[in-house]
Amino acid sequence: MTRHPGLLAAITRHISSVLGSVTELGEAMTAVAQAAGPRPLRRADLAELRPLVAEVLRRHDGLIAGTGVVLAPGVLADASRWIEWWWADGGGGISQLDVDLDPGSAEFYDYTTTEWYREPARAGRQWVTGPYVDYICTHKYTLTLSAPVLHAGGFLGVAGADILADRVERLVLPGLARLGRPAVLTSGAGRVIASNSASIPPGVVLARQEGSAGLRRVAGPGGGVADPGGEGAVLPWVLLAAPVRDETLDYG
Amino acid sequence: MAPSALTTVRARTLFTPLDTGGRADTVTRRLTTAIRLGLLLDGERLPAESDLAGQLGVATVTLREALAALRTMGLVETRRGRGGGSFVRAPREPHPARLERPLRLLSAHELRDIGDHRAAIAGAAAGLAAERALPSEIASLHEHAKRLRVATALTDRRRADARLHIEIAAAAQSPRLTREEMDLWAEIGDLVWLPMAGEDPGPVADEHAALIGAIEGQQPGRARELAERHVAAETARLLDLRLSLPQR
Repeated sequence: MTRHPGLLAAITRHISSVLGSVTELGEAMTAVAQAAGPRPLRRADLAELRPLVAEVLRRHDGLIAGTGVVLAPGVLADASRWIEWWWADGGGGISQLDVDLDPGSAEFYDYTTTEWYREPARAGRQWVTGPYVDYICTHKYTLTLSAPVLHAGGFLGVAGADILADRVERLVLPGLARLGRPAVLTSGAGRVIASNSASIPPGVVLARQEGSAGLRRVAGPGGGVADPGGEGAVLPWVLLAAPVRDETLDYG
Repeated sequence: MAPSALTTVRARTLFTPLDTGGRADTVTRRLTTAIRLGLLLDGERLPAESDLAGQLGVATVTLREALAALRTMGLVETRRGRGGGSFVRAPREPHPARLERPLRLLSAHELRDIGDHRAAIAGAAAGLAAERALPSEIASLHEHAKRLRVATALTDRRRADARLHIEIAAAAQSPRLTREEMDLWAEIGDLVWLPMAGEDPGPVADEHAALIGAIEGQQPGRARELAERHVAAETARLLDLRLSLPQR
């Protein structure tokens, strides 16, 4: 059987690289908490993160749509909830989201219920959310990469980065096209992230899509991709493709 | 919070440059959306006129026209002098009688047309959500329906209802349908629950439950039909109320 681990491995490297930066940002946040010692953390302390945030935005220019840390309620002394989030302004600088989440009015956007916040908190590890319609921040079809920020056994919040789904598609589609047969990349939940087939558009749930039954898994976590570092484990994406002709013969 | 730049997470996309031409009514609608959906908070200070005009990519004179319209609607208050500027006046709990005025401004023609638009968006979103929603998204729909069931104040009902329908459009995996729902709820949301003031919201909650059931049951046709019927019933109630107002 022909395997195509290279394709998934390539996109996994991109995502892992961003996850690495997210983790680095989380560690920097932990260091800020460490440095504060017993003194309560304040918003001003987060200024320490800015050079790294700018560096991360530069490092993944063209891939990430924003990055920062989102703090658990009660972590800061001068804000009950806080999102320290930045994006490249397109002119070489960075712009900050100056969030003022009034707890009385925050009902509309309670970030503690989002998958990208809740799951790293629950699982205690990196998490890839989506693709999903992010109608609060990017207003686009988005993937959010996030990692828990821990300090002294406590949960401080998450560090994260947004990637627009069409950026991932742009990275993956040339490879899918080269396969020369219907092939798709899906999330762990089975949602199509990228596809070279018009009959299986992005956003659909593969298992429910007519015409998807013939697709076979060619690469994914736990097989297909050699990933000794284990980095891919956090990325449960699966590459599926229609069988090649000789394989079809095998199936009679 | 720095008063010079309005750059909250909520405001970020709301204040990206308008790509549909810098018309005052477009600016008015964008700001109305932000305020009505609670994305801009009561008392929040808008950036200086020249800065905000710059962020939106419109002429200062266009922005002034939009701000004047928002002042007329009572959504923005401008104070002069030191510490002055334009401030958001988010509607708290509007008295039903006060909401009759905007309702009176809409003709039955417009109400019917808005209803048709809402039904088209809500129906399409529900149908696609039934095909595409994952269990985590269904769980979120149940959660918002529960919030709506226990909401009593008009404002809380509107917010929970808007959020539920926006989440259905998000579950359809469509940023465009989601944006349409947000715009429609900003435009008409205040009025949706007006005919239900003082009435038992139970039957509406049951409609939502049936709709979520069809989405969860992966029945696109039924989900679309239930969503269309749900919106049509709301439109009929609004028309009924509109036509019952004393004609002037």
